[in-house]
Amino acid sequence: MNIFESFSMAYKALTGNIMRSILTMLGVIIGVFAVITLVGLGEGAKAYVRLQITQWGTGTNYLELHPWEEGSIPLSSVSEAKLTYEDAMAIKDLDNVQYVDPRVIRAATLRYGRKQHKVPFIMGVSADYPKIYIHNPEQGRFFNEADVSQRRKVALLGKKAANELFGGLSPIGERMKINGDKFTIIGVLEEKGSMMRFDFDDLAVIPVTTAMDVFDTEDILEIGVATINERMTPVAQAEIEQLLTRRHGKKDFRVDSQEETMDMLNSIMGALTGIIGGIAAISLLVGGIGIMNIMLVSVTERIREIGIRKAIGAKRKDIFVQFLVESITISIVGGFIGLVLGVSLSLAIMKFLNLPPTVSYWSVAMALGVSIMVGVGSGVYPAMRAARLDPVDALRYE
Amino acid sequence: MSEQVLAIQELKKTYRMGLVDVPALRGVSFNVKHGEFISIMGHSGCGKSTLMNLIGCLDRPTSGSVSLDGTNTISLDDNELANIRNKKIGFVFQMFNLLPRLNALENTELPLVYAGVHATQRKQKATEMLTKVGLGDRIHHLPRQMSGGEMQRVAIARALITDPALLLADEPTGNLDSKSEREIIAIFQKINRAGTTIVMVTHEQDIAKHTQRTVYLKDGQLLEDKPQENIIIEEQA
Repeated sequence: MNIFESFSMAYKALTGNIMRSILTMLGVIIGVFAVITLVGLGEGAKAYVRLQITQWGTGTNYLELHPWEEGSIPLSSVSEAKLTYEDAMAIKDLDNVQYVDPRVIRAATLRYGRKQHKVPFIMGVSADYPKIYIHNPEQGRFFNEADVSQRRKVALLGKKAANELFGGLSPIGERMKINGDKFTIIGVLEEKGSMMRFDFDDLAVIPVTTAMDVFDTEDILEIGVATINERMTPVAQAEIEQLLTRRHGKKDFRVDSQEETMDMLNSIMGALTGIIGGIAAISLLVGGIGIMNIMLVSVTERIREIGIRKAIGAKRKDIFVQFLVESITISIVGGFIGLVLGVSLSLAIMKFLNLPPTVSYWSVAMALGVSIMVGVGSGVYPAMRAARLDPVDALRYE
Repeated sequence: MSEQVLAIQELKKTYRMGLVDVPALRGVSFNVKHGEFISIMGHSGCGKSTLMNLIGCLDRPTSGSVSLDGTNTISLDDNELANIRNKKIGFVFQMFNLLPRLNALENTELPLVYAGVHATQRKQKATEMLTKVGLGDRIHHLPRQMSGGEMQRVAIARALITDPALLLADEPTGNLDSKSEREIIAIFQKINRAGTTIVMVTHEQDIAKHTQRTVYLKDGQLLEDKPQENIIIEEQA
């Protein structure tokens, strides 16, 4: 008897009692559904964060320095710690560093003629800003190293800010006032959207040196650093820490890397995977026990059938395979239903989060593999009992 | 093919019930020639069923030998016995023993499934057998949709589908009304005339008289073995 016939035989036996078959499958359905959904969501969340990071230009080779003293609240202004423009210039000389962007950020009001527009952010940045954030001028040009070193009063506007002040007209070459100082507008930045409530379209960008003059400060809020590649990032990080510690005489700053963000995400996902994986494992175990239970009942109910089959020539192996295949069929069908439900739910969630829909093949393979294992594991013992029945006793059984 | 389809020698079977040995067969010997139609008679408890199980390779004797179509079945293992049951023996039971969820055709073809015959060939052969027993128009009926006589005819079609050397019938008419009883006996006589050897267990003299020879058992031993003029039942059309 070939395996295809065994499956069609199992199909007949299982459809003979559909309600019972479905109830028996439930444990496997839930288990596989949990695994697939979790894996799908985990992959989705990782993809989402990676997308967020790379979309904003600050890729995995990005480091960010903040003044910070041991024990103080991050980003608080009470800190005595300071970063300076000279620190940034020193960092730029390191071999493993590609771009450096020291920033001074303030809220301010822009004035053009009688119009005025309050932007949440005036960003004083370096000429490397477009490279780090992948935020380029749509019209005009970005300021260059010379503009920065000569502290020129030039500015670029975000799309929204430009519209507020100039309507549809081109602002290039126009002069506007920031905090009373006159600036020449040399460009408009392309539309970029918001990240974490930071609106990249409603801002003005000026050279960091100019910002220090206008806002009368020597303090750099933060320094963005792009290293030459992801692989060298830890090395660059160590070099920067060493350099600044030497310059400052103490470690009064901290270096944040994307790796830490990813690590944190991974550890959260790891914990979540552990929990739901545990639930799934228990569900699959209970499902397997349910299948075994029903298979034992089924063997008892069909003792006479087994006797008849043996009388007309079924070998032990045939009976064993028949019941094992039934058990495997239950768990595979259950696994498949769980798989379809799980994939549908994760795809729906990914669509909702605007993520590229991805289904990892290994989780599909694993779900089906585990289903087969559960089927085999819970089917072997009942199938053995069926196969070992004595034909005479089985035929006499009422 | 040897002339003896069945040769039984000094067959003994003892069951162990707890600490007591209960002898069911105490040394039975007889032969069945090719083309014979015999009945085995005796009161309940005389060892008929035990003898059937031993001839049918469902059970093993304590001692003695059964030779079926030239093969001594005593030394065979479980798989070889299953093979003998599949190819050389056809069973017809008192309780019909059809599988309730399979239709007439599927029940009939079942021995060929275990023999590894291809599906299309199986269906064709099963249809042919069902037609032979007069059920050509009911091949897709389930057992519960058929009368006792029809179910027994399906069982006969199933028993004959592998062209067995021996048809074993255990009280085949025990659960039937007298009309169906006559029909079944008529079918047996017809297939016997066509060359099939039949051994039938019964406790009714009325049934046994339609066979060519009767073997009487009593208390696990052969009481009498006599040929007789069998009464032929003409099959109704």
